[in-house]
Amino acid sequence: MTIPSTVIEVEATPGGDPVLAESLESRPAAGRKLLHGFLTDVPAMLSLGYIVLILLMAIFAPLIVLVSGWGPYEFDQTAIDPNMGAIPLGPFGGISAEHWFGVEPGSGRDIFARIAYGARVSMTVALSATFLTTILGVVFGLLAGYFGGWIDTAISRVMEFLMAFPALIFMIAILSALPSDNRIVLLVVVISLFGWPYLARIVRSQTLSLKEREFVESARASGASGAHIVFREILPNLTSTIVVMATLAVPGYIGTEAGLSFLGVGVVPPTPSWGQMIAAAAPWYAVDPMYFLIPGMFLFLLVLSFTTLGDRIRALIGSSEVRA
Amino acid sequence: MVDQMTAKMRAAALIAAGMSAALLLAGCSGGTSSSAPTDAASGEPQKGGTVHMLQNADFSYLDPARGWDGGVNAFYRLLYRGLTMQAAGDADDPNAIVPDLAESLGEASDDGLTWTYTLKDDIAFDNGDPITSAEVKFGISRAWDPQIGIGSPYLKNVIDAPADYQGPYVSGEIPTIETPDDKTIVFHLKEPFPEFDNVLAQSNAVPFPLGTGGGDEFINDVIASGPYTLDSYTPGSTIKLVRNEYWDADTDDVRKAYPDAWQFDMGIDAATIEERMIAGQGGDVNAIAGKISGAALPRIQTPELQARAIKAPAFCTTYMSLNTTKAPFDDVRVRQAVNWALDRTTVQNASGGNQLADVATTIIPPAVNGHRDFDLYPATDEGGNAEEAQALLAEAGLGDGFEFTLDIRSQPAMQAQAEAVQESLEKVGITVKLNVIDTAIYYETIATPSKQNDAAITGWCPDWASSASTFIPPLFDGAMITEKGNQNLAQLNDPAVNARIAEVRAMTDVDEANAAWGDLDEQIMELAPIAPLVFENGIFLPGTNIAGYHPSTNMTDLTIIGLKDPSKG
Repeated sequence: MTIPSTVIEVEATPGGDPVLAESLESRPAAGRKLLHGFLTDVPAMLSLGYIVLILLMAIFAPLIVLVSGWGPYEFDQTAIDPNMGAIPLGPFGGISAEHWFGVEPGSGRDIFARIAYGARVSMTVALSATFLTTILGVVFGLLAGYFGGWIDTAISRVMEFLMAFPALIFMIAILSALPSDNRIVLLVVVISLFGWPYLARIVRSQTLSLKEREFVESARASGASGAHIVFREILPNLTSTIVVMATLAVPGYIGTEAGLSFLGVGVVPPTPSWGQMIAAAAPWYAVDPMYFLIPGMFLFLLVLSFTTLGDRIRALIGSSEVRA
Repeated sequence: MVDQMTAKMRAAALIAAGMSAALLLAGCSGGTSSSAPTDAASGEPQKGGTVHMLQNADFSYLDPARGWDGGVNAFYRLLYRGLTMQAAGDADDPNAIVPDLAESLGEASDDGLTWTYTLKDDIAFDNGDPITSAEVKFGISRAWDPQIGIGSPYLKNVIDAPADYQGPYVSGEIPTIETPDDKTIVFHLKEPFPEFDNVLAQSNAVPFPLGTGGGDEFINDVIASGPYTLDSYTPGSTIKLVRNEYWDADTDDVRKAYPDAWQFDMGIDAATIEERMIAGQGGDVNAIAGKISGAALPRIQTPELQARAIKAPAFCTTYMSLNTTKAPFDDVRVRQAVNWALDRTTVQNASGGNQLADVATTIIPPAVNGHRDFDLYPATDEGGNAEEAQALLAEAGLGDGFEFTLDIRSQPAMQAQAEAVQESLEKVGITVKLNVIDTAIYYETIATPSKQNDAAITGWCPDWASSASTFIPPLFDGAMITEKGNQNLAQLNDPAVNARIAEVRAMTDVDEANAAWGDLDEQIMELAPIAPLVFENGIFLPGTNIAGYHPSTNMTDLTIIGLKDPSKG
C-alpha cells in the first residue's frame, strides 16, 4: 500500500541500456522478433489479458451493470439480514444469480457493479498518474542530462528533495486538508508530484551517457539545434527504458491509490474504489470473508499483472538484444 | 410500521424487567437477546474480587471538574459523591435523580431562586477527613476556575456568582453559596431552574478538601469521596482502584461496591477488545467493555453468547440537520419533503440492522423521559413516501428536484448512513453531494454557521435523561444560535417554538414538563428542521462471571456491578 517506486527504479535500470536500445531502433527485424517473443510468452500474455479485461470492464462498466442488473449505488434491502447486523443473506457473502459477487453488508449494494466501477477509479488514477509522471520525468530528465550545468543542479536538487520527502504522510495530509471537490484529479496530481523523479533520474543518467556518443556528436557537428538533438537523436533511444519504467510504475500507482482510499483520503463516497472496499470489508473479515477477498483479489491480480508484464517486457528486450 | 413499533415495545418490556413501564424502551423485534438480560443479571453479585474494564481510549480526566462525557461520568461515580446523583442502573427509573451526600433532594424557596440541602452524617474523604458543607462548597466552586472548570457548564450557568469570580484558587471563596453550619448548604440561582437537583448531580459538583486540587494536582492523583480510591494510574494504559475504607455503605443508598478492586485496561485496539469479550477466556470472565460492532453481531448468535449479550436502548438521536437559513431548506415544504422521502430502514441497516438501531421518527429517544411516540412522516412499504415528498416539492417549485451538500464525518459508520440518505433521496430527484470532513475538525466546522453547508449528519445525547430539557432547547432554541459552538445546527428561530421552550423550562412539575416536551417535539417536527434518522442501541457482552450489570448507552452504572464468584479469574 506504500509507494514502491524505489523498487521500480532499481529494477528498471538494466532494461534501459542505451546501447541495446539504440541497436533496437536501427534494426526493424529485431522489433518483429521481439513482438514474436512477446506473443509466445505465457506470463506476459496472461498478464496482458487480465489488464485488457479490467480495462474493458472499466470502460464498459455502465453497460456491464445493465446486464448484471444492479447499479453500483443501488441498495438492495432484500439481500441483507437486518436482524443480523445487516450481513448479506445466503452463503459466500450473498453470491447468487442476482448478485454475481454478493452484496455489501449494511446496504446490499452489488459488489460486482462496485468492482466494475471501482476499476474505473483505479485505472483512471493509475494511468493518468503514469502518463503525467512519464511526461514530467522524461522532460526534466532530458533537460537535466543534456544541458547540465545549473539546470542539472537545480532539477537534481528538486528530485532529491522529492525523493527524500516522506511522501505518503504528505499525501494524507494534503488530501485531507484540501476540499474534496474532485478527488480523482487531486489524487493524480499528488501521486505524480512525488512519482516523476524516479523516472527522471534514470532518463537523466542515460542522457548523460548518450550525449557523448558519436551519432550525437555528428548531429551537433552538422549544425542540429539543441531541441532537435534532444527529441530526434536522444529521445528515440530512450523508448524502451520509458516503456519498461512506465509499465512498472502503474502497479505502484494502483497500490498508492488503493492505499490512500484505504486510509480514507481517496475518492469521496459513494464512488466505489477497490481500496475503500477493502477498508470497509476489514471489520467483516470473520463473518463475510468474501467481501474482503473479492476486491483484494482484483487488486492483487492487477498489480501482479502489471508487474509481470513490465518484468517480461524488460527481459524480452534484454534477450532479443543479446540474440541480435 | 405502527404494529412493528408496538411489537418492539412489548419485546422491550420483557428485556427491561425491573425497569419502569412508563419508560418506553425501544427494543429488538428479533429476539436476539430477549431473554438474555435476566440471565446475565441474575446470579447475585458477591463481595470481593477485581472487575476489569477493557477500553480503547483513556479517560479524559481524573478530575471531575474537567472531564464530562458518558464514559468518564460512569467512572467518576466510583470515586466521587455529590449532593445528588442519578439513580442506580437497576432502579425503576434509572434516569431519576436521588439524594447522595444530601439527606434529601433540594428544598427550593417559593421564588425558586434559593435551594437548601442538608448533608448526611458519617461521610468522609479517603484520608478520613469528614465532609462538611465547606468542602462541598469548595469542590463546587472549582467549576469557575478558568483553567480547571472545563467540564459540565451547568454549575456556572445556573448558580449565581459575581461576574468576575474565577474559582477558589484565584478569587477565594464563592460568596453566593452559603454554609450556615457544617451540615447545611444554600445555593442562590441566577434565575429559577426547577431541575436544579440535576445540576448538582453533574460530575463536577463534588466535594474536595479545602485548598486541594489547584493547578495540575488532580491530573494524576485525586482525593476520593466514593467507595473506591485511586491505587495507581498509568496514563493511557491502566487505572487501578481499591476500596476507600472511609466510605460508609450505610450512608449510600445507590452504590453497592461489590468488588474489592477495579482495573481499567486501556489502549487496547477495539477489534481486540471485541475478540477478547467474545472468547471470554481466563481473566476476561471478570471483564466488561463497551458496545459491540455490527460486524460482531452474527458471531454472537450461539446460545452461550446469547445468554451473555445484553441490549441497552439508545439515549442519543442520530439526525440530519437541515439548515433553515439557506435555500432550499428555508422552505418548510422542502424540509418536510426530505422527511417524507427518507427511507429510514436503509439508514437503520447501514447502522447495523434492527438489533443495533431503531428507526427514529421523533427527536427525543424512547429511553429519555419526555419521549412521546409519533410519526408525522410515516413510510410506505417501499421505504419512505415518495408521493408525498414529490407533491410537496412540486408545490415548492422544485418538482425537478435539487441538489444539496451534506456534511459528514470521515468515519465509515457515518459514511454508510450518509450513503443510505443519499440513495433514498435520489429516488425523488434530490441529489445529495457528500462533503467529507476530517473527524478532528468536524464538530467545530458544523457548529460554525458560517462554515456549515446545507445539511449535516450528527447525533445528540441529553446531559440528563430524567427530562428532555437538555434535548430540545440546545437544538431548537433560536436564542441559542451562536457564531461558534452553535448546537442549533438547523438554525431554527421560530418565535412559537422559542416561547414554548421558555414556558416548559419554567414548569416545576417534572411530569407536566415532560409531557409538554413530548408535545413540543411534535410541534417542532411539523417544521422539520431536522430529519431524525436512527436511535442507535448498544449490545454489550460482559464476561461470564459478571453480575449486576445493567449497561447503558448513556452511562453504565459501574457501582452496582460485582462478580458471581470472586475467586474466579
